[in-house]
Amino acid sequence: MPHFLKEFFNRNGTGMGLVMLGLVLFWTVGLIILPQLSMLDFSFRPNLPPPEYGGPKDVYTLENYRYLVFGPEGGSQDFNRVDLRVFYRTIIAALFVTLFNLVLCYPIAYYLGQSKTSKIRIFALMLIIPYWINEILRAFALRIIFGESGVINSALVGLGIFDVPFDFIRNDIALYAGLGYAYILLMIFPIYNVIESLDRNQIEAARDMGASWITIHRRVVIPYAKPGISSGCTMVFMLTAGALAAPQILGGPSSLWFTQLIYQQFNDNNDWPQGAAYAIVLLVTCILLVLAIMRLFKVNMGDMGK
Amino acid sequence: MNQSALRIGIWVYLAIFFAYLLGPLAIMSVTAFNSSEFPRTTPWECLTFDWFVELFRDERILNGIKNSFIIGAGTVVLSVAMGLAAALMLTQIWPRLRATYYTVVIAPILIPGVVLGISTLVFWDRINRFLGLGPDSFLSNGIFLTVIGQSTFIASYCMLVLVARLQRYDMGQTEAALDLGATHAQAFRKVLLPFMRPAIASAAVLAFLASFENYNTTTFTFGQYPTLTIELAQKVRYGINPSISALALIIVLLTVFFALLHDATQRRRAMAAAARLGAPVTVREVAGGIRLPRVLSGNPAAVGLVIFLIGVITVVGTATAYSPAACIARVDAEKREAAERRIEDLRRQREEERERNFDGVFAPEKLTPDSGEDAGATDDNGSGFGNVFDPGNLQGEEEGATAPEDDADTSGFGNVFDPNTLTGD
Repeated sequence: MPHFLKEFFNRNGTGMGLVMLGLVLFWTVGLIILPQLSMLDFSFRPNLPPPEYGGPKDVYTLENYRYLVFGPEGGSQDFNRVDLRVFYRTIIAALFVTLFNLVLCYPIAYYLGQSKTSKIRIFALMLIIPYWINEILRAFALRIIFGESGVINSALVGLGIFDVPFDFIRNDIALYAGLGYAYILLMIFPIYNVIESLDRNQIEAARDMGASWITIHRRVVIPYAKPGISSGCTMVFMLTAGALAAPQILGGPSSLWFTQLIYQQFNDNNDWPQGAAYAIVLLVTCILLVLAIMRLFKVNMGDMGK
Repeated sequence: MNQSALRIGIWVYLAIFFAYLLGPLAIMSVTAFNSSEFPRTTPWECLTFDWFVELFRDERILNGIKNSFIIGAGTVVLSVAMGLAAALMLTQIWPRLRATYYTVVIAPILIPGVVLGISTLVFWDRINRFLGLGPDSFLSNGIFLTVIGQSTFIASYCMLVLVARLQRYDMGQTEAALDLGATHAQAFRKVLLPFMRPAIASAAVLAFLASFENYNTTTFTFGQYPTLTIELAQKVRYGINPSISALALIIVLLTVFFALLHDATQRRRAMAAAARLGAPVTVREVAGGIRLPRVLSGNPAAVGLVIFLIGVITVVGTATAYSPAACIARVDAEKREAAERRIEDLRRQREEERERNFDGVFAPEKLTPDSGEDAGATDDNGSGFGNVFDPGNLQGEEEGATAPEDDADTSGFGNVFDPNTLTGD
């Protein structure tokens, strides 16, 4: 180890080496690792007023996790039905949004990957511009459209399909459309990057040998694009499950997203340890799910960074 | 035959896809010009620019923009510095540590923003307490926490951008500089840094944009310094009006403008590079890259922008000619008339009802002054309580709470008490 350090300082000079090492350590240890560990530790502690920190009551407890599963102590129900249902719904909905994005984006990514570069520039611009508009404003735009007097309702009522405006917000349609809308770009680009490098001759060859359109995709394109598909899906899933803005703006009054529960614990109930425990549950569940799906489709973590 | 059907199918699909992607933004932009209290395109009331005026009068929005810029600047400096150091480290780290190191620095991209915000808040709160500092110390300052929290993951983006460029750097250049007597700092500043400059510029822009639009992390760390995004979220959640559309339109136009500018410079640079390689491109053509007609000929997006600008100018022109204030006053008058008619109808109905009932003690208007429409609709129930106990009545009120757009129309008073009508007169 000292040998490694000595070599490092020799190569970069003592001053530069120290600055570099300091910045990297500050980031990796001070901003990434320690805060996560601190949050993990915090989630096992009771919610105490600041003067009692480190006091006799400040002991490790599983209470915050127990609360998520069983609800308040002495509560009327066996399980914390409300929070568990929100959690379950968030995960399932995030999976469906990811699937929806994949189905929607795969043809676009394939088309862009196979077409000439002159077209790409314009499409890339049109893809990137919505992505740089604020997340809040994008959700707001969808709220205008799905609102009771929004464009869609005006059209539907005007055409006589519905007699009264349909409440898209209460029925969560606006929420799912907004979540799907938010992270489209992160699905397209990884898939596009991979498909772009696919040799067109492979597709030609498959076609010459009589493969149908579906077979070409199933046997040639999709296996080749698997790293891109999995990294796109991973990003969209993680971001959707962790989304906060879209559910707050587009969610109906009675339907919550799990991140909103975390937000409530922190800002309304002022119960930080409880919020930290919920955040840990969300993080761990998402990571486990992603790893499980990657195992299922036989993709390595190393392929994904490409 | 089959081929052309497929082609049409692809274009239809692309059209639907981009309508989904760009349509909402276009509709939102249009609502900024409608005088309706709630952002909508139909019914179109009056063309107005008042929402832009209101936007620039909004202290909280302006303050949010200021905070966003301060935090953005801090985040850019910190994340680019950390990203560059991390990228350099990646090229020379001990091979056995490399995979672990890479996982650690990439992880913040995948960790939900909410989790990053919480962990930053909890961790620095502890450090603060450990050092025995008060609740108003620097470490619990909203700007500091937000910069730290955002940099945690934005530095990862920066690192990815910088690593891509660093991979093409020849370490021999630094060694040559050192052999010629430069110090390490000089070699860094005069050799490596100029090479990295384009990548550093892109990383800085990326970092600023990511910081500016971040919500999930900032919402836990902002403290006393709400950013523009936080202010927008508060506004959108608790009652929306078209001044947000006005702000959105400005942001959309700025984004489109800078995207086109970037595209044009890139194209010019590519042409210059091609010229340098001896491709048959004349100097005039390269220089012509920034001439307007040339940009337009090769760039439908630019054409779209120009058409849009022409549209805006015509709209502004007609607006000054026909005076929006008069139109707004007319619409208000119409609304007031309609409301008065409704109140009149209501009064008549109630009188009839009262005559039918034996006593006027529980006169419905005393109990439910603003559920007039419902009372009118169900006048055949004949109960002395009007429809106070009608479940539909309660629901109607709840609707009003969740959808503030209805306030102006369903209240029996029209918008007589709306401060805007007073100023309009």
